[in-house]
Order: sequence, then C-alpha cells, then structure tokens
Amino acid sequence: MSIKLKALLKSPWVFHLSTGSCNNCDIEILDCLTPRFDIERFGMLLVGSIKHADVLLITGSGNRKSMERAKRLYEQIPKPCLVVAVGECALSRGMFIHSYNCPVPIDKIIPVDVYIPGCPPKPEAIIAGVVKLIEKVKKDTMKK
Amino acid sequence: MKREEILHNLRKIFKDDVIEVVDKSPKRVYIEIKHESLVKVASYIFKDLKARFNTASGVDMRNHMEILYHFLIEDINLLISLRVKLQKPKLEIDSLVPVFEGANWIEREIHEILGINFKGHPDLKRLLLPDDWPEGVYPLRRDYKEWDKNAIRDRGV
Repeated sequence: MSIKLKALLKSPWVFHLSTGSCNNCDIEILDCLTPRFDIERFGMLLVGSIKHADVLLITGSGNRKSMERAKRLYEQIPKPCLVVAVGECALSRGMFIHSYNCPVPIDKIIPVDVYIPGCPPKPEAIIAGVVKLIEKVKKDTMKK
Repeated sequence: MKREEILHNLRKIFKDDVIEVVDKSPKRVYIEIKHESLVKVASYIFKDLKARFNTASGVDMRNHMEILYHFLIEDINLLISLRVKLQKPKLEIDSLVPVFEGANWIEREIHEILGINFKGHPDLKRLLLPDDWPEGVYPLRRDYKEWDKNAIRDRGV
C-alpha cells in the first residue's frame, strides 16, 4: 500500500458539500460528530477547505448551478480521493427527479465511491457506509 | 386601528378597485383587486396602515395567472393578501419597487419563473436561474416542456 493511501485511510478528512439539499442529511452528518456517535474515533474530521480533504461528502440533489461548483471542487481535491454520496437526493434525486433544476444525477458527473441511502440516513448508516468504504479500499489495495 | 375598521376603510376608499374580500380567519384576509389599481391599494396599505411587506407569490392557474402580495400589520397580527388576476396572454402589471424596495427581488424571481412582466421595475434581470437557461422558457408554468436534451429522468434501475 502506498504511503499516500495508507495515510488517507488512517485518518480520512472529510469535506462536506451540500448541493441544494433540504439540510436534513447535513444535520445527520453533524450528529455523527457529536459524542454519542463520535466519528472521530475513525480519524474522521470535517475540514473547512477542500484542499485539506481526502473525502468529498456530497448531499443534496445537485442542481444546475451547484453542480458547476461541485465539479470545480472535485478538480481541486488532492488525489487519491474518495467521494461519498449521502441521502436519497444525492443517489437518484429522490422526489426531485422531474425537477427542471436537477437534470442529471450526481454520479453521472462525479465518480461516486459509496452510496448511503436514506431520507435522511441515520448516523449509524453513515458510519457503516464509511467504514465499509475504508475496508473495501484496503482490500483492493492488498490484492494489488 | 382595529381590524374591522381597517377592512371597512379599505372597502370604502377603494370601492371601485376591490372585487372581493374573503374573510378567511381572524388572522387572514384575502382582498381581490383590479390589476390596474394595485399600486394605489398597495401604497395605502404600506404607507397609511404601516403594514410590512412580507413577500409576493405567483401561481399559474391554467386560465389566468395570479399574484398574491402578502402584507402583515404586526400590531394587530393581521395578514392581508392582495390577490391580482392577470388574464393570459397579456401578463403585465405595474411594479411595486417605486413604492417599496422590498419588492425588487421577488418581482425578478416571479419574472424569471412565470414570465410576468413588471412595468417600471428598475432592473428586471434574472435572479436565481442559471446563465445557460434559454430565453422565454418559464419553469413553473403549466405548459412547461423539458428543453434539456441531456436530462436523465429515470432512476437507472
């Protein structure tokens, strides 16, 4: 395993991006950081700048204006990186599938590594999803 | 002023302009007025009754367009909604921006989303829609058709 990837999996720093969500997923993500769920025990930390991040965490249905910004952020994140889509809207736009402002789902624009369904997903689901992602990346690199 | 007094005065002063007064609940009154006399009635409510302009909302009702201007008189907790009906295809109404600045952005939004032309608005450009949105396509109209060739409308399963 390369040193870069090892460092990434040891302590993935997360940048939280909302592309027009109703804020419910964002509240659940905030709940993950509270002492009750304490996602920092996996080394995860929310960071303020995309340039410090290893994981891009996307919520929301991805409307026309915000997807331009999401693309720009994906170009700026240091590679290798992981992309996590949280919530039904980020997966398939949920109830906004016929909206004039959400033409394309997020995973057709940015490659998404893990999908966490739910409206909103529970903090346990978010933690389980992220841990599964870490396990998967570890296993894949072991094979190589 | 009391609530009854306000409604009585409105009926008396604007008896040619008011079409219908719907007394919905103690907190809420809908007043339908002619669209030519909107500025007159709105400035009376705003300046003389000291009401606060909350917002405006536009609706496409298939046969006509409707704009509701919501005013709140805070000391008696009364929400007055001025209802204006615009017959299609002539969608024009006087702007309220010369009376109060708070109407500026909501009129821009109604303009871009429903295509209603506000006469006398100082700067009627787009507010929220993206720059590559085509001219003359109004998303919240009933006859809106999908224009984007790249749009994907299935869930992929």
